[in-house]
Amino acid sequence: MSLIDRYVHEVGRHLPRTNRADIQAELRSLLIDALEDRAGPDPTEAEIITLLKEHGSPRAVAASYHPEGQYLIGPALYPLFRLVMGIVLAAVLGAQILAWTVAAIIAQDPIAPLHALDGLLTAIPSAIGSVVVVFAILQRFEVRPDVEEKVWDPKKLPKVDEVERVKRGERIFGIVMSTLILVVLVFFPQWIGFVTFPGGEFFANPIITQYIVWISIAIVASIGLDIYLLWQGRWTLPTRLAKIAMNLLSITILILLIQGHTAWLADHGGGGWIATFKILPENIDGGFQVIGMHAFRLAFGVAVIVTSIETLVMGYRMLRDAFGGGAFPITIPLQKR
Amino acid sequence: MRSMMDNKELTEVHTKLTQELRRGVLVLAVLSQLTQNKYGYALMGDLSERGLEIDQGTLYPLLRRLESQGLLQSEWSVEGSRPRRYYEISSEGARLLDLLKTEWRDLTTMMESLLDG
Repeated sequence: MSLIDRYVHEVGRHLPRTNRADIQAELRSLLIDALEDRAGPDPTEAEIITLLKEHGSPRAVAASYHPEGQYLIGPALYPLFRLVMGIVLAAVLGAQILAWTVAAIIAQDPIAPLHALDGLLTAIPSAIGSVVVVFAILQRFEVRPDVEEKVWDPKKLPKVDEVERVKRGERIFGIVMSTLILVVLVFFPQWIGFVTFPGGEFFANPIITQYIVWISIAIVASIGLDIYLLWQGRWTLPTRLAKIAMNLLSITILILLIQGHTAWLADHGGGGWIATFKILPENIDGGFQVIGMHAFRLAFGVAVIVTSIETLVMGYRMLRDAFGGGAFPITIPLQKR
Repeated sequence: MRSMMDNKELTEVHTKLTQELRRGVLVLAVLSQLTQNKYGYALMGDLSERGLEIDQGTLYPLLRRLESQGLLQSEWSVEGSRPRRYYEISSEGARLLDLLKTEWRDLTTMMESLLDG
């Protein structure tokens, strides 16, 4: 019977500790029952081998006693796992891209993208690893999430063409803000700047003044599109294309502004933050000017990122609709009985 | 259009679907045979005698699962030459068996009527 004992022992190695001995004892008795039934009290080794082969490999037998143990992350946890993984990856990617862009703008470091890639290569596997470890622990302790909505209301399903609809509030807010900025740009260009320190002199931003015409054109175009969208009430292919074109114009102007600021900063000894802090004690007024210009450049950098993301989303939606995504209004005449 | 299945594919699909059908009735079959206590191998013999061939690797873990769900109860007993684990339906299991029997009969009536077309 030593083969049976070895088999039972091997099955036990793949079983969870709880119930292991009991399952092993039962399995042994069942195998002996089968053997006695087939081969009588004195089975040959060949007969034992045939029986064990029929019964299956120790690993498979153990798995059948403990099906959930086969999963690092089981089917019950998997939907939540996918959701969390998606959020975490998006967050890591977003944070890395943001950090990279800001670093590239501030430090003027041409190899910043390579550093970012290096960072991503480390950050993504470690994010995936952490999520897997957390879920594997949940699986091990048989935590079962209750994420499914208990009562769901078909009426709350989003309308098929909801994506197409223009959000009025957003447009109105856009028009008001753009108009305010336009008024300042056109009538009070000398207001664009900052006070270097409390009670100090007002410093007008020299770079923005250079580009006032272009900025104004972009803002007027954007106000025009917003008004048209409010009137139409829904996005169409031409309005989306127009919006994308305007965003690209904005991005170009923003990049010109950033370059202008960078050049100005280099001329005034403020190429980097550290350099700025070095000149501060020597020349308080000039130092604060440099800090102010850094702040402007940072704000433009953020604006480039936001506008780029908005443009990408818009482009994606346009492509999705063009190639048969989910946003087509589907009308099927209901049959009358 | 996909081409027609060849015989081999047909056999594979047939085997798979037959297994699924049988798996569906397994719990009912096992509960129905455990109104008296039995050990695993004897139960397998009984089922086989009635025409239900069931793999040992399927039956034994199923017995433990049904026990953990409270539908069966078991104990080690030395009725024969060696100790064996005997399973028997619990009172909850018996109640469930009655419900499942009704369900099964309704299902077969319904299926008969569907298949007679």
